[in-house]
Amino acid sequence: MLSCRGLRKDYVTERGAVAAVAGIDLEIAAGRYAAIIGRSGSGKSSLMAMIGGLSRPSQGQVTVDGTDIWSLSENALAAFRNKRIGYVFQFASLLPTLRLVDNVALPAMLGGGGRSSATYARATALLGQMGLGEHLDAYPSEVSAGEQRRAVIARALINEPALILADEPTSDLDEQTEIEIMDELLAVNRERGTTLVLVTHNLALAEQAEQIVHIAHGMIVP
Amino acid sequence: MRLLASLALQNLGRRKARSLLLIMAVAVASGVVFTGATLMRSIDSSMAVGFTRLGADMMAVPEGALTNITAALLTVEPTDLVLDQDLFARAGIASVSRAAPQKIARVEHSGIGSHHDSVDLIGFDPAIDFTVRPWLVEKLNRDMRAGDVILGAARDTVLGSELLIFGKPHTVYGRLGKTGVGTHERGVFMTFDTLEALAGSVHGPSGPPAVLQKGKVSGFLVELAPGATPLQARFAILSTLKGVKVVTGDSTMSGIRQGLAALLNGILALMVLMFASTALMVSVLFSAIVTERRGELGLLKAIGARRGQIVGMMVTEAVIATGAGGLLGVALGVLVMRLYERSLVYYLENIGVPFVWLDGPRIVVVAAAAVVMASIIGALGSLYPAWRASRRDPYDLVRGEG
Ligand SMILES: Nc1ncnc2c1ncn2[C@@H]1O[C@H](COP(=O)(O)OP(=O)(O)O)[C@@H](O)[C@H]1O
Ligand SMILES: [Mg+2]
Repeated sequence: MLSCRGLRKDYVTERGAVAAVAGIDLEIAAGRYAAIIGRSGSGKSSLMAMIGGLSRPSQGQVTVDGTDIWSLSENALAAFRNKRIGYVFQFASLLPTLRLVDNVALPAMLGGGGRSSATYARATALLGQMGLGEHLDAYPSEVSAGEQRRAVIARALINEPALILADEPTSDLDEQTEIEIMDELLAVNRERGTTLVLVTHNLALAEQAEQIVHIAHGMIVP
Repeated sequence: MRLLASLALQNLGRRKARSLLLIMAVAVASGVVFTGATLMRSIDSSMAVGFTRLGADMMAVPEGALTNITAALLTVEPTDLVLDQDLFARAGIASVSRAAPQKIARVEHSGIGSHHDSVDLIGFDPAIDFTVRPWLVEKLNRDMRAGDVILGAARDTVLGSELLIFGKPHTVYGRLGKTGVGTHERGVFMTFDTLEALAGSVHGPSGPPAVLQKGKVSGFLVELAPGATPLQARFAILSTLKGVKVVTGDSTMSGIRQGLAALLNGILALMVLMFASTALMVSVLFSAIVTERRGELGLLKAIGARRGQIVGMMVTEAVIATGAGGLLGVALGVLVMRLYERSLVYYLENIGVPFVWLDGPRIVVVAAAAVVMASIIGALGSLYPAWRASRRDPYDLVRGEG
């Protein structure tokens, strides 16, 4: 499903080059729940960004679902992100000018679906599943952080992706909400068979994973 | 596409004060451009008219006559210098097809208009006239005869009614249409005989003006023979006739033209400057807006927006704002020109330019051009910042680096 070969990311800074990811080989099978752990600054986010087609590797290859994503053209990669990958970010990532239902429908509309009633029906259903049926027309600023994060999960699912990438999706939430959000993500993984890659500080969460990837100084440690 | 447009609109609505300021700034610039361009084109076409619009190619006037400031362009400034009425008829110049003699007497206390208004009484010869009668919009259903007068468009009197000039009864025979030539519109036209009959009532510093004598005229409106050039005609006239000066459209206007040209060049420079600085301002503003929304743009890219869509959304936002500014500017321009129309027309006519507005359809074209230009400013100003942001990796954008 997901494979990385010789993946590197070097950032050029004023104080010289930083090797955020320093040569990673990784395989994650389809339908798995994999957790990436490691100290802050170890290169987890950089790795996730390269896996997700968000940050071009300095070196190496990322293959998702048989596609060497970094050999795709700009537009093809955009389409690939749109159709095959769902993201749950570390930060608030809803567009503030759109209602929740519009935010959730947005990837489908960007993908060429346009503003169709089928898209909105799906967005409505997904928000319902996330317990946000009452807040379809609410703007992001009008709901809680936990509810925002649920809406982001709904958005990640709208195009039925093969892979969900979640980079510390709950780090800014209280414990109870964190558990609820994680339950949603794990349910998606279990019920839909969507591959889930999760970056977390929470070792209890990581221990439930089928595969644990431990990173230090940009490399995998056993 | 509709999605991008609605996102763009919503984005404009987020910072209402800023969007309004942008719209206002563009409105001021495009208002100046629209107003400037409209005035320029109007003045330009006004200058092309004058007596040439009345149908004459040139005028022949006494050598010493003042023509540089004549608002009429119809005849010369009223003067005591005169020419013989049969000057052209006798000479028979090949490059001239028609030369219509006119007498002009500027009189006061004639009883026409309010007490102190001076009135131009203009005598013409209906048999060879080609600048008065073609402009008749209404006339009595009979031939013109002694005692009849034709009024310019600016004088409003019922046809057939009696008009007293120096106490003598005259009949209003006809009325002229709007020609845009000031004295023509305010003039009172009559045959030579009718005008000469008033000689006894008009008192100049030394008796009645010379032009009211039989056989004397103020000048001729000249129409070229087919195929003849103004240069040929001018040369032929000057070499055949003595004591005559030839005035063509160009030379009459040249002084004014130069003055106005400087003014118009100033407006043009201002327009170019406005255009450039507005584009620059939009560009600076949109660089800031792009920076401010970097995270959102990165997010949009992450969830599948293509580069073209990102650029399209930002450019649409800019074009909506500057286009609206353009429309508002045109509206403001129209308002300003309406407010100042009177003083503007008065001023221009004073310096000798009979002012006529550009016709409606052409004003619409200028207005459309101003709006399009404003939109282009938006597109140009936002294109580069948007394009630069769209090139970046989504992860760099959402992380908010550089
Ligand atoms: N855009 C960047 N420019 C420069 N250095 C960066 C950039 N992104 C990350 N880094 C550096 O790369 C290293 C790994 O960062 P990151 O991938 O965010 O780690 P993690 O997510 O594990 O905390 C850190 O030292 C960080 O400072
Ligand atoms: Mg991180």
